[in-house]
Amino acid sequence: MISFELTEEQSLVRETVRKFAADELRPVARTTERGGACPRELRGRAAELGLGLLDVPEAQGGAGLGLLGAALVHEELAFGDAGLAIAILGPHAAPAALVELGTPEQAARLLDRLAAPQARGAIAWSESGPGLPLGGFRTTARRDGDDWILDGEKAFVVNGGVAECVVVFAQDAGTTGWSGAGAFVLDGRGEGATAGARCEWLGLEVVHAAPVRLAGVRVPGRDRLAGAGGFVVGAQRMFARIAIANAARQVGLARAAYESALAYTQDRVAFGKVVAHFQAVSFTLAELAMEVDAARWMVWRAAASFDAGAEGALLHAAQAAVQANDAAWRVADHGVQLLGGAGFVQDHLAEKRMRDTKTLALLGPSDQDHLVAASCALGLTEDAGAGLPISALQPVVT
Amino acid sequence: MVDFTLTDKQREVRALIHGFAATVLRPNALAFDRAHCVPDDFLMRLSMMARAFPSGGGDAELPSEYGGQGDSGAKPAAPKKGSQAQRFTLIGAEEMAWGDASILLCMPGPGLGGPPVRFMGTPEQRARFFGVFQTPGLHFGAYGLTEPGAGSDVSGIRTSCRKDGATWVLNGRKCYITNGARADWVVIFATVDPALGRAGQRAFVVERGTPGFSVGKIEEKMGLRASETAELVLEDCRVPEANLLGGEALYAGKEGFMGAMKTFDMTRPLVGVMAVGIARAAFEYTRDFVRENYLLARPLPRYAQLAAMVAEMGRLVDASRLLCWRAAWMADEGMPNAKEASMAKAYAARAAMRVCADAVQVLGAHGLEKHQLVEKWYRDIKVYDIFEGTAQIQRIVIAKRILREVPTW
Ligand SMILES: Cc1cc2nc3c(=O)[nH]c(=O)nc-3n(C[C@H](O)[C@H](O)[C@H](O)COP(=O)(O)OP(=O)(O)OC[C@H]3O[C@@H](n4cnc5c(N)ncnc54)[C@H](O)[C@@H]3O)c2cc1C
Repeated sequence: MISFELTEEQSLVRETVRKFAADELRPVARTTERGGACPRELRGRAAELGLGLLDVPEAQGGAGLGLLGAALVHEELAFGDAGLAIAILGPHAAPAALVELGTPEQAARLLDRLAAPQARGAIAWSESGPGLPLGGFRTTARRDGDDWILDGEKAFVVNGGVAECVVVFAQDAGTTGWSGAGAFVLDGRGEGATAGARCEWLGLEVVHAAPVRLAGVRVPGRDRLAGAGGFVVGAQRMFARIAIANAARQVGLARAAYESALAYTQDRVAFGKVVAHFQAVSFTLAELAMEVDAARWMVWRAAASFDAGAEGALLHAAQAAVQANDAAWRVADHGVQLLGGAGFVQDHLAEKRMRDTKTLALLGPSDQDHLVAASCALGLTEDAGAGLPISALQPVVT
Repeated sequence: MVDFTLTDKQREVRALIHGFAATVLRPNALAFDRAHCVPDDFLMRLSMMARAFPSGGGDAELPSEYGGQGDSGAKPAAPKKGSQAQRFTLIGAEEMAWGDASILLCMPGPGLGGPPVRFMGTPEQRARFFGVFQTPGLHFGAYGLTEPGAGSDVSGIRTSCRKDGATWVLNGRKCYITNGARADWVVIFATVDPALGRAGQRAFVVERGTPGFSVGKIEEKMGLRASETAELVLEDCRVPEANLLGGEALYAGKEGFMGAMKTFDMTRPLVGVMAVGIARAAFEYTRDFVRENYLLARPLPRYAQLAAMVAEMGRLVDASRLLCWRAAWMADEGMPNAKEASMAKAYAARAAMRVCADAVQVLGAHGLEKHQLVEKWYRDIKVYDIFEGTAQIQRIVIAKRILREVPTW
């Protein structure tokens, strides 16, 4: 039966995280952005609250919230601050890769590395420089006895260089295209893996990211993840998880932008009138409220479909991502606009949200990737990678 | 006859300024953005080079606030019909903004303070205040209208002015003033009595160093970081009566306020075309990026997606430019152009926002990187939707001129 009602547990999680975000994240959003790092204590606080492996089943050491529960958490955290929402969750996207591409044995064994309170994870997907038109990677994996040897360079890796559990995407030597691609979990930081200079970006500046160079990095054979249904399906499902989490963050960011515009325009007076009472402004506020809600319901539907293993889950994830990216960009933009000059200067967080939302939109598959995935799901087009991000054309942040 | 081609002279000037923008402005844009300022010695060299721009002779000269040698104040207040000054200005400004919008705003000269002095000033005032730009060194003018409590609502300003013998005493605060701290003089709008609304407003030229006139906070901003945005404080600041723009007579009717507003008919298309310059820069950069990856990516449905986005970007740039040109042409022809000026600014700012956001999107993660200009353009462009009248205010200006009955908002 159609219902938007959260379970008691979900409501409780949401309230707890909402309070944490308001009290402990929002007040330090600007200072941590300027400092370019998430304080260790803050990551400790997140761990204390059990904010680690959110959507991983309890049996595998996770919080067992499912994607829907996780989406609630991501929205609230990003409502506090989008950058910190990512930075305080150490495992980042690694669990999605382990769960979707690994066997149950691999997932259980490798997730264990992420269970420690300050543990960090990473997935290294993109590559810079000319890539390959038909997908796949330039980074190679060569067999050596039971092991694999990785060589290449990965770009735009969140937690690159600081993560203890790194999933590297590479091409089996001698193959081309997605079918020859695989995922390899480095042993710790990986001997022979070095991080390059930290990425300096438009937004989400508190998030650490860097390119990672791999020179003869050895990975034991048992740590190659192949995906039960093949690489493409596994990677698609991994990205769907990532996209749903990220879309939830966009909703949180948009809600924050909307609420601050709503408050500001009801205090600000121009032409002898409260600014929010001008039609142009009130209509805009009304539109923003709609955008935020529409995006949230799309995210919830995608998460629920995914959790239920429903058909159409991948399509719903792609749709939710595009909806949320679009909504958040528009709301963040109006969030600046409705503050006038105050929106553009850094006394307020409005301008930060405008930078963060655009950066979030490129964390995980881009809208264009999602649209290709959606058209594939609808049978409108064929694409060997079914919407997997292609570095050559439009690299993404992972 | 309808014609969208440039004259030979305009083409020549455009090519010259374009070369200048590409070789002098563009390569320095990122460093200055990071430093949050444009160094003085760079500005010195820049103004020297700008002096070498051909003036175009006669009416076709580039006014000094936009990098040309311009008029010295001796020129009549309103351009005469058939002049090409506005169109010339727009052509130059687009190229400069294409090079770097922050540096353009830092160009020595009267800046936004120029138009009110030109439109409202007496010949003596024009000569005196523009004269300073003929003397050696770096000189700036500024425009001080916005206050902490009044931005869009110009009639809501609270900075007060009181006549005391041969001087005026000014008290209040101005905020977000471009080049406010470095300006030789700032056109300050104040009121004899807020209850009088627009009729109570006066415009003064307040010179740097005047006792009681000081600089407050310098803002940190999302974009245009190399451009200075300052708070100005007036505390019992005594300004000689000779600095009241246009003299007392000007304020007898509604003319004073109209003077302040008329400024916008000139500056809005200019601000619009600056947005076009930034958007074009982002469009060209993205187009080249996608083209370079074309052969690699040809078979993919994704390529079609990206190509369509780039084509849209190009369309938006061109449509915006035409609206700006139309407003400028009307000004040159001496036609009232308030509606068209607002349309140009509103449309160009919005379209440029879209273009810059899509540029980041098409480039993917490369578009986020701080060592790429696309990231900067995304930050720079937003304020074009805010200053010189927000998007909403432009719509009000337009609505008031298209509706038969004007609603109270
Ligand atoms: C980088 C920068 C440089 C600047 N340079 C200068 C300068 O050199 N000189 C100068 O004087 N000023 C300058 N400004 C100020 C700028 O012109 C103002 O910020 C702008 O006019 C908006 O005013 P405000 O910030 O007070 O916003 P507000 O007027 O408070 O507006 C808040 C919101 O309310 C909306 N609103 C207001 N009235 C109405 C209405 N009637 N109907 C519908 N919506 C309405 C606005 O559109 C906006 O969305 C600068 C600003 C910036 C950011």
